[in-house]
Amino acid sequence: MKISQHFALFTVLGAANFCQAQSMFRGDAAHSGSYLGPAPRQFHRLKWKFATGNRIVSSPVIDSKRIYFGGDDGNVYAVDAETGRQIWKCTTRGPVSSSPAVANGIVYATSYDGKLYALNSDTGAVKWKFATGGERRFEAKGLHGMQPKTQTIADPFDVFLSSPVIVKNTVYFGSGDGNVYALDAATGEQRWKFTTGDVVHASPAYADGVLFFGSWDSYFYAVDAASGKEKWRFHGGEDPLIHNQVGFQSSPALANGVVYTGCRDSNVYALDAVTGKEKWRCNNELSWVNSSPAIAQGKVFFATSDSSLFRVVEAATGKEVIRQQAKAYMFSSPAVVGDVVFVGVLNGTLEARDVKTGDLLWEFQTEASKQNKGWILTADRKFNAPLLFYSGWRETPIVAVDRQFGIGAIFSSPLIANGAVYFGSTDGFLYALD
Amino acid sequence: MKQSTRGFAAAALLLSSMSIGRAGETVAGRWEGLVQIPDRELKLVIDLAQRDGKAWIGSVIIPGLDVKGAQLADIAVQNSDVSFTIKTPRGLQATLKGNLNSDGTLAGDFVEAGNTAPFVLKKIGPAQVEMPPQSTPISKELEGEWKGEYELYGYPRHVTVKLLNRGSEGAAAELVIVGKKTTNLPVELVTLEGDSLTIDSHGTGTSYEGRFNKDASEIKGIFIQAGIELPLVLRRVK
Repeated sequence: MKISQHFALFTVLGAANFCQAQSMFRGDAAHSGSYLGPAPRQFHRLKWKFATGNRIVSSPVIDSKRIYFGGDDGNVYAVDAETGRQIWKCTTRGPVSSSPAVANGIVYATSYDGKLYALNSDTGAVKWKFATGGERRFEAKGLHGMQPKTQTIADPFDVFLSSPVIVKNTVYFGSGDGNVYALDAATGEQRWKFTTGDVVHASPAYADGVLFFGSWDSYFYAVDAASGKEKWRFHGGEDPLIHNQVGFQSSPALANGVVYTGCRDSNVYALDAVTGKEKWRCNNELSWVNSSPAIAQGKVFFATSDSSLFRVVEAATGKEVIRQQAKAYMFSSPAVVGDVVFVGVLNGTLEARDVKTGDLLWEFQTEASKQNKGWILTADRKFNAPLLFYSGWRETPIVAVDRQFGIGAIFSSPLIANGAVYFGSTDGFLYALD
Repeated sequence: MKQSTRGFAAAALLLSSMSIGRAGETVAGRWEGLVQIPDRELKLVIDLAQRDGKAWIGSVIIPGLDVKGAQLADIAVQNSDVSFTIKTPRGLQATLKGNLNSDGTLAGDFVEAGNTAPFVLKKIGPAQVEMPPQSTPISKELEGEWKGEYELYGYPRHVTVKLLNRGSEGAAAELVIVGKKTTNLPVELVTLEGDSLTIDSHGTGTSYEGRFNKDASEIKGIFIQAGIELPLVLRRVK
């Protein structure tokens, strides 16, 4: 009964092919975050690690036994999934803080230089580039209570760029210029653009001819994928005081006619994909939900920032199933594979948890995290706030965040393929574990 | 035999107390040095002194961490062993355990958040212990219970303040905020200058600054929480 219902819903959703492709952010255009097994329920070894020139916040994708990812050193990389050897790299003029998407022999990636690159997947040669209105981070006066409060401050936690999504020969992505673009995937010709009120760094999700994405203008949008016409918008929380509890940094996920998204207003929302009507919300008590939800087995898996919670709720009702306390903030999105769920933690640890209980099965700690230079972490791997955020004045919080990133933080969402787990770290390495 | 034992014990006690006295003299002063945290040297300026030649008092300056004049706690000097705890309003808590060395340095371990690093301090002059700010007395009319309300992120927060005088220790306050949950904020400092009342909870980054209007029986001011300033009027509970 359950299987047949599930099958019927698959048919309804059409293009949202769960668990079938892993060639774009969160695995597929619906961003399910659910992958086909097998997955290591026990940690065996570090299979390889690949060094880059700067931190990695990009989430790797796989196509034809090649791993593709972006580096904040400005490169898009293609690496052999088995050996970890570089196949090619393509240098852009800014950090590639997003996940590439691969289709029909082309790799698409966004860069902080304000361009989307279309690269030959075999060679890394640039086929075409598309220039947006330019990249920027979310910014506001007195952001997060930082001083001086009349000065505009760029958000150091706005770490990701929008990852492109490819559907039916169209590539969709958001931009710091506030637009979401639809381009001809073969030529780069602009089909349409949709303008929001602020930065769009979430990755759009697609289902049934509709594109879904949130903006930092506090709205979540549903737009006709063919025309770019707005179908509906949903208003998330506002924060005129310190602009902390506002904006959709999380990328949405779709399943069974419902779109799920985290929000900086501390909620995870479940919205009717057709009407935009709120079905339920799950509050996280002033803690951001920047990670993107994963949908699997009738449940929504997500992780929180300040409260450092790994949570699982029923997809239909939002009723809590699992609540587990992690040790540090999580921006990484959970990846579900069979009976294991993987998530990265900003203290430089990758966690593998049991899907049913949320109990920790194993964890992998990066070398930078183990070294704990500057005592960024406490001995039990929580962030050492008194040594980091000792002042709200001027650049102190910005420097503190940069220090946090220096301990091998894992912003990257894990990719699981061929029994291995792949993820990037701010220590500059892409890791493969099995 | 017994007498000689007693005499020896007395002599030992005398020597011991002399040694403690000397250690006290040696320990008192301003000490400056570094904690060798991996990849991050932390400069410390420690002031240690004995009040009335007895109980130890001390304060610390940590340049670069916005710490100036934070109080030392649990100061212990035993022969050449010296230990104390640094507690800052922003939550830094570190314990230093060291020894006085023949070269005049005070060296040992700095333990913070479960991490341990070596420190070495050198005496550079006499102690300049900074005493914590003291609460002032408040007027009789301010004593008692006050209530108010502010809104944050769409939810009301109900504030209750209880003020009382504690004789020579100045005023004290209880500060309770009820939102989705109840939070009892520790208050370190209450001051009244003219009609301006300040209630500080340093450790939580929270404070209230208000002006007392005797005629209206209200305190009109702002509640400051994590850099957010919100208007808050407190009214006396009758």
